[in-house]
Amino acid sequence: MNAKNEDTSSYSPLSRLFGLVDRPGAANRIFWGLAVFCGLLFLADFTYEKHGHFAVENIPGFFGFYGFVMFTALILAAKLLRVLIRRPEDYYGNKAIDSESYPERGLDRATHDD
Amino acid sequence: MMIELIPTAFLYIAAALILPLLPQTRARGALLLLVPLLAAWQVWMLPEGIYARTEFFGLNLELMRVDKLSRVFALIFCLAAFLGNLYAWHVNDRVQQVAALVYAGSAIGAVFAGDLMTLFFYWEGTAIASVFLIWARRTEGAYHTGMRYLIIQVGSGVILLAGAALYWRETGSMTFETMTLGSPATWLIFLSFGIKCAFPLLHNWLQDSYPAATVTGTVILSAFTTKLAVYALARGFAGTEILIYIGAIMTLFPIFFAEIENDLRRVLAYSLNNQLGFMVVGIGVGTEMALNGTVSHAFAHILYKALLFMSVGAVLYRTGTSKASELGGLYRTMPKTALFCLVGAASISAFPLFSGFVTKSLILDATASQHYPIIWGVLVFASAGVLSHSGIKIPFFTFFYHDSGLRPKEAPAHMLWAMGITAALCITIGIYPDPLYALLPYEVVFHPYTIGHVAGQLQLLFFALLAFGVLMRTGIHPPEIRAVNLDFDWIYRRALPRLIAWLAVVVTRLWHAHSAFWQRRMLGIYQRLYASHGPEGRMAQVWPTGSMVLWIAVLLGVTLVVSFLKF
Repeated sequence: MNAKNEDTSSYSPLSRLFGLVDRPGAANRIFWGLAVFCGLLFLADFTYEKHGHFAVENIPGFFGFYGFVMFTALILAAKLLRVLIRRPEDYYGNKAIDSESYPERGLDRATHDD
Repeated sequence: MMIELIPTAFLYIAAALILPLLPQTRARGALLLLVPLLAAWQVWMLPEGIYARTEFFGLNLELMRVDKLSRVFALIFCLAAFLGNLYAWHVNDRVQQVAALVYAGSAIGAVFAGDLMTLFFYWEGTAIASVFLIWARRTEGAYHTGMRYLIIQVGSGVILLAGAALYWRETGSMTFETMTLGSPATWLIFLSFGIKCAFPLLHNWLQDSYPAATVTGTVILSAFTTKLAVYALARGFAGTEILIYIGAIMTLFPIFFAEIENDLRRVLAYSLNNQLGFMVVGIGVGTEMALNGTVSHAFAHILYKALLFMSVGAVLYRTGTSKASELGGLYRTMPKTALFCLVGAASISAFPLFSGFVTKSLILDATASQHYPIIWGVLVFASAGVLSHSGIKIPFFTFFYHDSGLRPKEAPAHMLWAMGITAALCITIGIYPDPLYALLPYEVVFHPYTIGHVAGQLQLLFFALLAFGVLMRTGIHPPEIRAVNLDFDWIYRRALPRLIAWLAVVVTRLWHAHSAFWQRRMLGIYQRLYASHGPEGRMAQVWPTGSMVLWIAVLLGVTLVVSFLKF
């Protein structure tokens, strides 16, 4: 389906609202907006007195730094893990549901136009 | 007030007996909604105390122990049953409907059980009822998966029974109360709880079976079994230090698996495992604040986890798949489902103003105030991990990102209502946690909305989001691909069967070699006998009297030698 020439008039206002993030260049603006917001959050740490249980909590930006580093480490470790444990979808054969499709009688497939 | 005299579980089980007799789908659906409401009203009205005592083969059973801990779990189980049944309004399968009632009833019965024997009965009740939600998919894969699930779940019950019997011999009591780990009895009970709570290495039944259940079955499964185990641990083993470390590992390892898993319902199962870890840490810390944290987190978790399973289930219901690699861009035609999914994602990620924030921070704060710096660091890391798979991956790769070209119809109205009510509850708890705090076993002296908490949490989450942005822009973030990933269950699904098959071959070969060797030996003996006694043999050439004389000569010779040696 061609997303660009699609007739979106039948879509709900909510879906058009969500659609704002799909417009050309929006991803860039969101990313830089996020970066600016993170900068502000970091600066906000200087505006109040911290009472953490541990000394590290009182370092300005500790949670931000920890979140960024650990999130990145998590993704990299997960990528490595995938190399080790990835197998084809039918690895367990008919003893598992991974390679079988969901039975149609339990579904109500319908498209937007229906 | 007659209703006080009926144990809550019996309401569900009675309804399960009546339900198959109702001919109309609508009537069955209405009964499924009515029973949890009636049960919740009963639980709400019952004052604390012990009801429905009875005797069974000389054991004193307490079917209804109502206190603050059991009441809050019973209430959330009723709520979960109501929401799950509303979501399943379209289901016209009596097997699933009866299973849902018996399952919820057993879970509530177990929560109210005042003794280990009653606990055992309901414990097995949840196992047996729930497997039908998996088998109701009616495929070969689901059949095998259900079998694996049933073996492990019933096994947990059998271990509980063994532990209870030893405990009775040891203490002379069957009362289910706080225990100290030490004797074989308490270890067995602990192990049994641990299996149902998906402790590390005992966890795979969860990720194996939940994605195999029906669209609605998974929603119902997600609420009861594991939270029953959390309740049982909180009741029996609060303050047991080993739980802190078990819980911390539980928060940690599933986030790596969830990150690379393609089936979104399995991602949610890993995520469920991770959330249980937070609760188990709270039980291990065992202070009033920590236990409040565990109970409130279980309460909030049941709601947002059900919400996430509902939204992914709705996608599966409309498109036939729940695999991230096949989905994307569904916000166009399923915007309401997308919105509810985002609420669930924000709640589980513990964004301020959402339910996870006001409950998880209790556990984190309790852990920090008891001076477990490493555990605290693990939990904060795991919180960022939750954001990565449940907060970002589930909504982003389903409803946004690449356009999969799928234009499914919005979820049916009853599913939207179920999701809408659940989402509203998630937000209400997040904004106004006091009513939930009032239900907790101990008084809450904690304010989640201090500037330090909010700023710290926002930093953690938004910097993690920023990291996600960087990883996506640089193409480092792993793509969604069709695959299965091995986990510890590989040991019993692949390695052990292979080992047994290999052993069978080895044993067969050894047996053949062994019997061939003896066959050759016997053949040799036959041939030699044939050579001496056969028609051509030496012995055949003389008369039997001749041979007799020969043998007598041999015998006399032997006698002579023996006599000679003797003297």
